[in-house]
This record gives sequence, structure tokens and C-alpha cells, in this order.
Amino acid sequence: MNESDVSIDIKDLTKYYKGNHIPALDHIRLQVRKGDIFGLLGPNGAGKTTMIRILCGLLSPTEGEVTIGGYSLKNEMADIRRIIGVVPQDIALYSSLTARENLSVYGGICGLKGRILKRRIDELLPIFGLDKNADRRVEHFSGGMKRRLNLIAGLLHMPRILFLDEPTVGVDVHSKNVILENLREINRSGTTMIYTSHYLEEAENLCSYITIIDEGRIITRGTLTEIMDRTGSHTSLVEVFLTLTGKTLRD
Amino acid sequence: MQAFLKLIYKDALVMVRDRGGLAMLFIMPLALVLIMTSLQDTTFRSINESGIRLLLLNNDIDSLGLSVEKEMMKSSLFRIYTDIDNKKPTEQEVKEAVAVGKFQIGVIIPSGATRHIRDKVSRNVEMALSGRQPVPERKDSVFLLVYLDPTTKTSFREILQRSIREFTSEIESRLILQEITREINEVLAVPVPDLSLVQEEAVFYREEYATLDDSGTIPNSVQHNVPAWTVFAMFFIVIPFAGAMIREREDGSLDRLLTMPASYAKILLSKILVFLVICYLQFVLILLMGIYFFPVVNLPALQTGSNLGMLSLMTLATAFAAIGYGIAVGTITRTHQQASIFASISVVILAALGGVWVPVFIMPAFLRQMSIVSPLNWALNGFYDILIRDAAFSGILPGFISLCLFSLACLALALGYKRIKRDS
Repeated sequence: MNESDVSIDIKDLTKYYKGNHIPALDHIRLQVRKGDIFGLLGPNGAGKTTMIRILCGLLSPTEGEVTIGGYSLKNEMADIRRIIGVVPQDIALYSSLTARENLSVYGGICGLKGRILKRRIDELLPIFGLDKNADRRVEHFSGGMKRRLNLIAGLLHMPRILFLDEPTVGVDVHSKNVILENLREINRSGTTMIYTSHYLEEAENLCSYITIIDEGRIITRGTLTEIMDRTGSHTSLVEVFLTLTGKTLRD
Repeated sequence: MQAFLKLIYKDALVMVRDRGGLAMLFIMPLALVLIMTSLQDTTFRSINESGIRLLLLNNDIDSLGLSVEKEMMKSSLFRIYTDIDNKKPTEQEVKEAVAVGKFQIGVIIPSGATRHIRDKVSRNVEMALSGRQPVPERKDSVFLLVYLDPTTKTSFREILQRSIREFTSEIESRLILQEITREINEVLAVPVPDLSLVQEEAVFYREEYATLDDSGTIPNSVQHNVPAWTVFAMFFIVIPFAGAMIREREDGSLDRLLTMPASYAKILLSKILVFLVICYLQFVLILLMGIYFFPVVNLPALQTGSNLGMLSLMTLATAFAAIGYGIAVGTITRTHQQASIFASISVVILAALGGVWVPVFIMPAFLRQMSIVSPLNWALNGFYDILIRDAAFSGILPGFISLCLFSLACLALALGYKRIKRDS
């Protein structure tokens, strides 16, 4: 991959949690191409969340080098924070504030102000079907509405790279459809996305590149077609996943 | 700066939207200060106004018994009773009446008490005038029997002992002078008048409160209690503050903020500013209550003197220390339960050590030494310096600096702990 096409470059990323001799991430090497929807998949405890938390600056790696958008994770975290957006698995919203107030706070912290901030909020709320509830407190929202607002809060400031940690967990079909449709649309405008999910059909339909990790190591990577070809006669990502990670229960 | 202003806006909005919580933050401290001050004031007044119920059985119908009875009757501290249901009690009845709580104290002056003293004094004076040393004989001593209700405070008992000792020594000295007069008159041709009748007090005393200026502020229950309970109430901000931090951490908002251009220090600082304003408003409300509402409920009005600037500074330093403690608790504890239990109990301990419940000077030596580590002690002394002692700014400076340093130390602890957690 040409260096100018690389959005995220990870070299030998390793993470040991304190008091644990088994690495959560074991010398991970991978590159994310600009404009990709990069699916990071794996069973529970595979190391997905650890990796996302390291890339977002919430956790320090034990070793390895990471550059995001050309900035070093070790030395230029402040620059990285300006170009990334994060949609966490938790509904990270202030429930006593309205949808508009939440977006105003998060957008403002990310550097949007005045009319630009208002315009972005007014643009995105209708896209995600929340314009009629813009001035209602989040505590009165349904799970799907909260999830959609959670997504808007992460992409309001038009980040170059968007981290999505299970963005559709626990939502109904309609909300899920709205979220996925709009993620494709946002990706078409050039935003690179790193996406984790347990819904493999979602990943199959959405991601342009997939990496499956287990026990802190990459076990396969490539486009969906490349992975299917490599693993033989499987007809779905679910079958590939179960073949590679085994069928035993994970906690 | 834009990010910081948005953080302040967010914290203020979250606070304002929680109307119930906000009301508690103002109403509870006001209620605490009002109730505790009233309680202390009325307790003090009730002792003075209604007096301690004392049952006196005077079996010595002579100088000592009559004098003790007369002096006790004059005392505003005791309400003296000499009978039960219009009947003079027996010694056993006195004991029973005190035991069942009808009276707090029972005093029995034995029969012949004055005669015993007179005989002893006469013998001692005679021996002294003849050049021999008086030898105290225990069988000559007079025992006043005092029964105490088990619930009677030690301080009452001490007051009673002091009063009785004062009355009896007065009688003793009068008898000594009478005896000396008698002895002299036996020797001299021209009789001298009874010396006990010309007894005059040689030493007088004048009582004044020591202050560093002449502002004339009179210490009373309000001047003592308002600062004490205000400091105590202000430190309870630790619980909502730590709660706000834990809530933000649990719902993932903190993590989201940390992925944005907002450092942890900025996130904390915005909260500090919002809670400082709340603490300051709490104090202003308590002050206004002390000045304007206390007289309405028959309490002395709080006197703030002319040191409002110093009062504001000490309030901010106290609030800063309380919030710093809240940051440390909110960072280190994991759940709301942990935070609220630890915060409330530790604040009560720090308050007890700091002299909020009982003055530090009457504590045992080891607790007195421990009290210097309590930020509530620094705050309380600072407020006493301003409100009671009328100290200058240099007087409150050590406490002011200590409170600020305590808060900064808590902040450093929280930031350090956060860094360790990130690296672990």
C-alpha cells in the first residue's frame, strides 16, 4: 500500500494488562487504507476493544508504534484528537440535556462554533430522524433514538477517521437501517471508518476490508471475497468466523 | 478555550437540570446550620433559664447548711427543691428521686456539719496560736453526700462541685475569723469587733474577650456554630462532586470527552469552577440566614464584621479544598456506593478531628495532634479568626494556603491515578 494511502499504520502493537502474562494484543501489524470501512471482528475477549481504546488514546500500548492520519500516537495525541471521531458502545450522552444541547457540547468541544455548529446539528438531526425531538431531553428517548444521537455526536465535526464500536447494538431494524445507510453515505464523502461489531452480516454488507482477530492476534484479513476464497467453501462470513475462531463459547 | 467554555456550559447545565439535587445542595446545609445552631443555643439557654433540678436535704440547721442553701438558691444554674410533694424527704428518698430522674442532682448536708467544722476550726486555731502544727483528723471532716442522675453531664457535676466548694470554704473562713476574734478578745483588754463581719473581697476581676481589635464582637452560639456547621456542610459537596465524576465515567461520557480535544485537567477544572460557584452561593445563603433570619427565630444575629473580603477568600479556599477532596474520592472510588459511604464517613471523621463537634483544645493530646491534619480544622480556625478573633489577613494566611495546597495535592493525586490507570 502506498504510504500516502495509509490512514492508520500499526506496527507491532502489543498490550499487556498489569498483572497479566497473556497479551491482550500480540504484535499486531496492520494498515488501514484511507476511505475504507475497516471491519475489526473477533469473539469476546479477542482484543478489539483494547485496540480501539489504544487507537483513541484511552489506553497506553505496552509496545509498538502507531500513526493515525500521519500523527504519532505516542507524541502527537492532541493532533490525533482533532481528526478522529469516536462512537462508543456506551450511550455516552448527558441524559438530562436535550439532543441539541448534547450535540452543541460535543461539537463545541471538537472546535465547531456559532453558525457552523448550528448548521451541522440542523443538518444531521433530520438525516437520523431526530429533528422532531431535538429539544427533548435524552432521558425520554428510546434506545434506538439514543443510539442514533450517539452516532451523530461522533461525526458532527466531520472527522477524517471515525471509530465505531458496536454502533448498532440493541437497536431495532429501522434504526439499524438508518445508521448503516448513513454510515455508507458518510464513507462516500471520504471518511475512513474502523468498525467493530458482533453482527457479522452487518460487517459483511458494510465493510470494504475485514480483519478478524482472536487472542490478541490477527487470524485473517482481506476483502470479504479474499477471505472467502482463502477459507474454502464457506458461503457467509459467519461460517468463516466460526471456522477460524472455533465454536466454543467465549466470555 | 472554546472547548473549556463548552465543558463549563455542560457541567452547569447538568447541575441546573437536576433541580432536586440542586435544591438539596442549598436546603440541606441551611437546615443543618439552623438546626445545629438552634440546638446548641437552646440547650445553653435552657440550662440557664430553667436550671438544673437539685434536691437539697439540709439536715444541718446551722451556718453551713443555711449558707449552702442560701447560696444555691441565689445561683441561676440550679433550681433548688427542699421537699417532695410538700414533705421533707429522707436520705433514701433523695437517692430514689435522683435515681428515677425526677431530679438531676441530690445534695445531703449531714446534721451537725457546722458543729464539726466549728470544732475543727477552733482546735486548729488554738493549736496554731499556741505554736503547734494543726494535725488534720479525718474523723472531723464533713462529708456532703451528692447523688447524681447517671445521665447528668460531667460538666454539670464539676460546676456543682465548684459551687459547693466555694460555699463551704466561705463558711470555713468565716468560722476561722470568728474563732481568731474570740481568741484575741480573750487576751486583749479592749475587745475587737468580729473580724468575720468586716470581711471584704480583696480581689476583683473583669472579664473581656481577647480580640485583636476593638470591634466588640461578642462570641455566642451563633458565632461559633455557623462557621463550624457551614464548613461541615461545604465539605459534603464531596458526595455530589464524586457522584458526578463517577456517573460521567460509568456512562462513557468521560471516555468520549477524552477522545476529543479536551484534556482531563480541563474536564476537572470546568467541574471545579461550577462547584466553586455552588459552594460560594451556599455560604452566602447561610450568611444571609445568619444575619437576617436568626433574629426572627430568637437567635442572636450573625456578626460578619467588616471582613467580607477575607470571608470570601476563606470560603473559596474551603470550597476548593472540599472539591479537591471530591476529585480524589471520585477518581479513586469505583462506584457511587463506595464514593458516598467513604466520603460521608471520612468527612464526619475529619469534622470531628477538626473541632466541629467539640473544640480541639478539650480533646485528648493524641487527637489534638491529629486535628492538625484535618482541612476542616484549618477552615474552621480561619473562619473563627475572621468572625470571632477579628484577625488580619496575615492571621488567616497559613490556613488559607494549607487549604489550597490540600486541594492541589488531591488534584495531583487524581491526575497521577488517572495516568497510572491509562498505562496499566
